[in-house]
Amino acid sequence: MKLFDYTRVSRASDAVGLVAGRPGGAFIGGGTELTNLMKDGVLAPDLVVDVSRLDLSDIRVSRGRLHIGATARMGDVADHPVVRERFPVVSEALLASASPQVRNRATIGGNLMQRTRCWYYRDPGSACNKREPGSGCPALEGQNRWHAIHGGSDHCIAVHPSDLAVSLTALDATVAVLGPDGRRSVPLGDFYRLPGSTPHRDNALRHGELITGVEVPQSPLAAGSRYLKLRDRASFEFAVVSVAAALTRERGQVGDVRLAFGGIAPRPWRSPEAEDALRGRRLTRTTIAAAGRALVEGARPREHNAFKVELVQRALADVLQDLGGLK
Amino acid sequence: MSPIVGSPLARIDGRAKVTGAATYTADTEVRGALHGFLALSTVAGGRITGIDVRDAERSPGVVAVFTHRNMPELVVPAGQGTAYWKRVIPLQNAEIHHSGQPVAYLVAESPEQARHAASLVKVTYEARTPRVGLAQAMDEAYVPEPGLKGPNDITRGDPAAGLAQADVRIDVSYTTPMHHHNALEPSATTAVWDDGKLTVYETAQGINATKATLAEALEVPPADVRVISRFLGGGFGAKGPVWPHTLITAAIARELGRPVKLVLSRAHTYTSHGHRPETHQRLRIGAKRDGTLTAIEHVTTSQVSRTEDLLFNTSEPTRMLYACPNLRVTQRAVQLDLPAPSMMRSPEVVASHGLETALDELSYELGMDPIELRLRNYTADNPDADGTPFGSKHLKECYRRGADAFGWNKRDPRPRSMRDGDTLIGWGMATAAHTAGGRPGAGARVVISAEGKATVQVATHDIGTGTYTVMSQVAAQSLGLDLAHVRFELGDSNYPFAFVSAASATVPGVGAAVNRACTAARRTLIDITVTDPRSPLHGIPADRVTIEDGTLYDTDRRARRDTVRAVVARHGEPVEATTEPVFIPPGYSTGACFAEVRVDPGLGQVRVTRMHGFFDAGRVFNRRTLRSQGIGGAVWAVGFTLSEHTLVDRRLGRIVNPNLSGYLVPVNADIPEVHMGFVDKPDPANPDSLGARGFGETPMTGMTAAIGNAVYHATGRRIRDLPITQDKIIEAAEDQ
Repeated sequence: MKLFDYTRVSRASDAVGLVAGRPGGAFIGGGTELTNLMKDGVLAPDLVVDVSRLDLSDIRVSRGRLHIGATARMGDVADHPVVRERFPVVSEALLASASPQVRNRATIGGNLMQRTRCWYYRDPGSACNKREPGSGCPALEGQNRWHAIHGGSDHCIAVHPSDLAVSLTALDATVAVLGPDGRRSVPLGDFYRLPGSTPHRDNALRHGELITGVEVPQSPLAAGSRYLKLRDRASFEFAVVSVAAALTRERGQVGDVRLAFGGIAPRPWRSPEAEDALRGRRLTRTTIAAAGRALVEGARPREHNAFKVELVQRALADVLQDLGGLK
Repeated sequence: MSPIVGSPLARIDGRAKVTGAATYTADTEVRGALHGFLALSTVAGGRITGIDVRDAERSPGVVAVFTHRNMPELVVPAGQGTAYWKRVIPLQNAEIHHSGQPVAYLVAESPEQARHAASLVKVTYEARTPRVGLAQAMDEAYVPEPGLKGPNDITRGDPAAGLAQADVRIDVSYTTPMHHHNALEPSATTAVWDDGKLTVYETAQGINATKATLAEALEVPPADVRVISRFLGGGFGAKGPVWPHTLITAAIARELGRPVKLVLSRAHTYTSHGHRPETHQRLRIGAKRDGTLTAIEHVTTSQVSRTEDLLFNTSEPTRMLYACPNLRVTQRAVQLDLPAPSMMRSPEVVASHGLETALDELSYELGMDPIELRLRNYTADNPDADGTPFGSKHLKECYRRGADAFGWNKRDPRPRSMRDGDTLIGWGMATAAHTAGGRPGAGARVVISAEGKATVQVATHDIGTGTYTVMSQVAAQSLGLDLAHVRFELGDSNYPFAFVSAASATVPGVGAAVNRACTAARRTLIDITVTDPRSPLHGIPADRVTIEDGTLYDTDRRARRDTVRAVVARHGEPVEATTEPVFIPPGYSTGACFAEVRVDPGLGQVRVTRMHGFFDAGRVFNRRTLRSQGIGGAVWAVGFTLSEHTLVDRRLGRIVNPNLSGYLVPVNADIPEVHMGFVDKPDPANPDSLGARGFGETPMTGMTAAIGNAVYHATGRRIRDLPITQDKIIEAAEDQ
């Protein structure tokens, strides 16, 4: 890897100032992601600013919202009693992520900033529009078993790897950001970008902006939430497809419902269509199947990932049957 | 028999390994060493038209950049005792044969500097469109000339007539994807020249072959080459042959006049030392209604490279496992724009997966229990054409005791019949078998000091299997010394010769050599004792003297005794013995494998929940390390059957998942408790090794099909293309 400067800061504003002032600057949290990308030659920052010791590791509920600091460790958040009881989908998504060793190290902010696992992106010997704009996308006609069936473009069909982001998307979380121009909040639904013709831009952050935390509204919806992740081995593997589901029930019918999916799109994929198919209806095998069909309406599978169209419906059905007591 | 051999002794190098004290090859620190790194081709075929190394040369710390334009010339080794299986060496010309072929070798003061410089090398190619998929080139399949395993087309009896006589016939095809060894320890080479003599610290399963290969490639006398490999972090066949990066590193160290160290990156291991190639196999089997086999036709087609066509998937399971009078076994090759395959643990697993899956399919056609079908075709003798006797074979006992331990008689044979709520449960079984022996063995040297301590040396390897431990046990027992007074040394080509540690040949070969040398030393000790007037045992017939725990006794009057220490001290010089290499007699390790899976029928997820193996491995030197070998085979079988595959981009000819994130070996959560049992009866064919046989590669040969057969039993779906991922279970369900 290329030589780079490293510095550790104790104030978030210092971190932001340092990275904003260097076009080749980057933040590092737990280091479980950036160092891999640097070793593989995918990213080559010339300044790495360590934010892992910033005082941003709080996990607390106040004024009806769960606050998770950006430097909280995945493992600590997953095991936090409040998260487990009132936001089970978040805890389950984190526990389904990575390995215990990685979860003890990796931060919440870093988790949201993960880059895609698309192997063409991770291999500097291949073309990739996300890594090298304009170079092409071999995944379109290549090994695309893990790639998107929704939201892709002719420039990129990579999927976003974060389970946490899927669960937070289902709960309408917001991302707190500190930048050179001050603080702002970005709803998670607006945080991740679809590739379109600019797949090299993953998210709404501007250079130098730092995630300081995540806020999740507390609700009966959040309390009745589940995460299901399907993958090719039992642990330490990214989702083939995943489902975050949250719903309330009123007099036997679905009250409110949120559905978000991983492994099928370049960003956590919220499906208002599937939600509409359930809202106000009883949870039955018929309504669940209808929600599944609504979810995959317009899906664009590729040569090796057509199975995802079926599998993600089955995963949704599994979670909903579980939540609805139909199992 | 003293209890040392057979006791479940913990690894004597275990503490060194878990504390980091064990010096693996990449841990070797040599003063003044430079560091190498490879730059690899990004195209899969064609030639280099331009290569610009100016930025790389100017990069900090870089000492030299070698390309085909300035690389020292090397001889392609092919002589006696060498193990270079490629016919070309990269960096010798502009030709590109596969993606991931070295195009430049960067040398710098630090590994990081060399690695960074590699990213600065700019290469232009005249590339041709690659072909890398077996299915697209099956019409080009041919039968290569006889290779490492003899002829590639073997007929016994009259297969066509046998098929015609059958009451029941099956005709099935299976495919397996490209697989990689993924040893935890990446391959590493450190080459040190001193006054024209070369020492190489190498991750080698075969230090003697490495020595011979280096000598020929570099045109130096073999006596001037020394190869050292004290610990190996797994090899699985990848480190058996010698590969180009080793030769190139040694040549560059000579050119620069400084030691050079190369540690392959994980990604580089995917194109630098072979793989198990993609295969297709077709099996046609005929049987009488009572299960008697009338014919087997087994045609396997494997990928080979453009420059070599050695095949490594042996056809022995089909030829040797069952009594079938009519047989044809054909091994075909298809040349593709991919790296050369290599041997890979277990070499016969592809064939045995096919055979044992096909027999399971036949058992359902016949409505016969799969163990019963195998017993109907049991053979006590080797049915193969050359008729080499097996030695002992206690496979019937394995079936019986394995089935009892697993609870096989509680199985409802109907597919989808066993459930736990919505979850489908499947039980499957298969036979495991591995030929162990029939190969050059090893020599050994033992020296007993005046302190009564023995040092035993063999130029063999501990590839992670426990060689240090079990050979210390054999030596202690054969010498009559306490285990603490025996030191077993390996991994230095200056020690007596041993064959490559592959094909499960180390235990029978090195075990026999250690036993012979130590038995000879013990005899010498006794002779010295009874002829020494100063010994209390003077004048007693030698055959009345025994040695236990370092004390020599008169077996008639045990109070009359002497000590090894005193005997050697009075003798005035160390007592030594050496044995020349002896051929390992053929042996056949067999066993029965049983697996239970649970399948979620909605999601298609398969989990292995129980694995049992019962094996005949001859005498067991060490129940603990042997059990570990069994567990390793079972774990790998889970990966082979359910998750492992190397994916190649068809248009780029490039491996897309060359890392442990994309290539899915099982993790702890995938592995249930694994039960291993052993017959533990000495094989009379190898008395020198106390009746022990090679075993390590045996379990995997049966467990893969046992798992696949269990998936069928659970779901009623026969997935014939590995790995059995959940999408295939679901698609098979949709097809019904």
